[in-house]
Amino acid sequence: MGGIIYLDNNATTAVAPEVAEAMAPYLGERYFNPSSMYAPAGAVAGAVKEARAAVAALIGADAEGEIFFTSGATESNNWAIQGAARARPERRRLITTSVEHPAVREVMREMARLGWTVDELPVDRAGRLDVAAFVRALRPDTLLVSIMHANNETGVLFPVAELARIAKETDPGILVHTDATQSVGKLPVDLAGEFRHVDLLSCSGHKLHGPKGIGALFIRRGTPLRPLLLGGHQERGRRGGTENVPHIVGLGAAARLAAAHLGEAAQIAARRDRLEKAVLERIPWVEVNGAGAERLPNTLNLACHCIEGESILAQLDAQGICASSGSACTSGSLDPSHVLKAMHVPFTALHGSVRFSLSRLTTDAEIGRVIDVFPRIVEALRRLSPYWDVAAATPRFDAIGADGPTPA
Amino acid sequence: MAWAYSEKTKQLFMDAVHGKPGTHLGEIENPDGLGEHGSLVCGDALRFTFRVRRDEDDPRRDVITEARYLTFGCTSAIAASEALCTIIEEGGFTPIQALKIRNEDIVEFLEGLPSQKIHCSVMGAEALEAAVFNWAQRRGVDLEREGVTLHAKDEDEGRIVCQCFSVSEPYLRRKIRELNLRTIPEITAAVKAGGACQSCHHAPGGLQDLLDETWGPADGGPAAGAGEGTAEAGAEEPLSMFQLIKRIEGVVEREVRPQLQADGGDLEVVDIKEGPIVYCRLVGACAGCPGASTTLKLMVEQVLKDRVHERTRVIAV
Repeated sequence: MGGIIYLDNNATTAVAPEVAEAMAPYLGERYFNPSSMYAPAGAVAGAVKEARAAVAALIGADAEGEIFFTSGATESNNWAIQGAARARPERRRLITTSVEHPAVREVMREMARLGWTVDELPVDRAGRLDVAAFVRALRPDTLLVSIMHANNETGVLFPVAELARIAKETDPGILVHTDATQSVGKLPVDLAGEFRHVDLLSCSGHKLHGPKGIGALFIRRGTPLRPLLLGGHQERGRRGGTENVPHIVGLGAAARLAAAHLGEAAQIAARRDRLEKAVLERIPWVEVNGAGAERLPNTLNLACHCIEGESILAQLDAQGICASSGSACTSGSLDPSHVLKAMHVPFTALHGSVRFSLSRLTTDAEIGRVIDVFPRIVEALRRLSPYWDVAAATPRFDAIGADGPTPA
Repeated sequence: MAWAYSEKTKQLFMDAVHGKPGTHLGEIENPDGLGEHGSLVCGDALRFTFRVRRDEDDPRRDVITEARYLTFGCTSAIAASEALCTIIEEGGFTPIQALKIRNEDIVEFLEGLPSQKIHCSVMGAEALEAAVFNWAQRRGVDLEREGVTLHAKDEDEGRIVCQCFSVSEPYLRRKIRELNLRTIPEITAAVKAGGACQSCHHAPGGLQDLLDETWGPADGGPAAGAGEGTAEAGAEEPLSMFQLIKRIEGVVEREVRPQLQADGGDLEVVDIKEGPIVYCRLVGACAGCPGASTTLKLMVEQVLKDRVHERTRVIAV
């Protein structure tokens, strides 16, 4: 894929060559079912065990009994929420946030349709939660708290470790789940340390240079959770289905690599910060969504006033730059990002978001190229916009109306 | 999601953004016709202007010579604007003839649009109509006498059905007929209505009702609304909780805060729940103190256990 600049690593990451290499034998001669009795199958079971240990080591879990392989974070999230509800039918309340990934949000909405009460916590303009609102939401019949660690769109981090402690000190019977799909592999996550109050944690392979279609659910020992997929003794009887051995091995290799590269977060953050600074200096009427909150080191979500995100992406694409947007036009729906709406991003910029998400493979030269290209794209699109005054380099307040924003 | 745009659409978009000669980006000063459609809130909007070669004897024979647009929107919205201007200029139409351009013509010019993007072409046709209406006013042409029915006028005043995209009932009724829309997803694809919160789908007087009134009721009743759980009031006993809170507050005021304030700190009570559980945080000089949580547990919790209730728990937030 020579020539492209890939800055969409919150969507998916490049499969590391080491990962592909580790997987290859299990797509070839090592095809045995790890549950079978003969020696070659035993060797395959050993590879699954090693992979489990690698994932456990990355997040501070106990390999034998706390790491369960799934088809990805979507399944992990479904399992955590639905499995908890089935295990504790007497508890009827769920707590979540207004900015979760659809893999949590849609499950929560379904639970509400089925009769559970769901408290969706709001966020402020920077994407932060109000701890007092979280405390208010804790009730005697609260079943589960599901709050993401890092937001996929803005990179904003929630204080999950602290919220988990507050929930557990209030009532040890409340289960705490976190969707850590975006943070595992980018930041240290220690379930034996800071995250010791978290019961359930979802993660995914393809966000950390592993393959797609594989993930894991951490289930703390002793956590009441019914299975979601019935039909086999695999994964200690909690997740039926013959193990997806090549992908499990790939996830293990990716987890080992991620652990080895965790120290590079500061370099990634420095590149992101360079891009952020340059954009803010060169382009008027651009804001950073999530500015003021703690964020992932790799994510930069920009709100460009008076232009539309999909056309920005199309122009970036024409320059070989891959990014994404929360614009309505980039999704199947007509509604812009629920995350940005929950943050009350002004309507003049709600449709003009662009997300750049870096990886450890992103180079200084690539960032330099984006700094060169991006301001010109914004300028060109603003020339087309009926809401932009080219001469004054500001929005056309007469066209926008009295509800328009004030300069940032 | 990568949209399956035609080559033509992509090319028009790229040409427009790069200001290639022959493209129609811009705004005509003192135009003969000006029309707008969409809004910044909706996610796309078009400002359309045209100039005519005036016929001295009969303004009805004015011919559009130049058309320009400013568009806020996605790839297909910009390409559709470009298409509209090209069709008009190439056609040598009078404004009244130009009204015959339908959104289907724009889609055809673009060699197709994804169904979710059809509204981008509708936007162009609507802006054109508004511009022709504007021209007629300027030139003193009575469009109704020319056999043209204009919709924009009364539709502005109609009841809003889709609040998210400000789509009115008269407009929807007209579009349902004109575009032969038979289902809610078709309405949404064509004019965006109902595409966001969806609360107008099955509301009284909502999209389904409009469809039923236009085409007759479909088989089966409307789908049951998806009720979402709402928080009900807590079942605490107000009296005892009230007394408890009064006592906790009293002790905090008299015995806890003075001690902390003496050290330049303070205590903020965030919430009190049955248990009782007191959620609080140390502020001021105590906030960053490494012993903060110990202070809360040992000092604050102990005082409250002694003075209020032996089962009092303090949780730092």
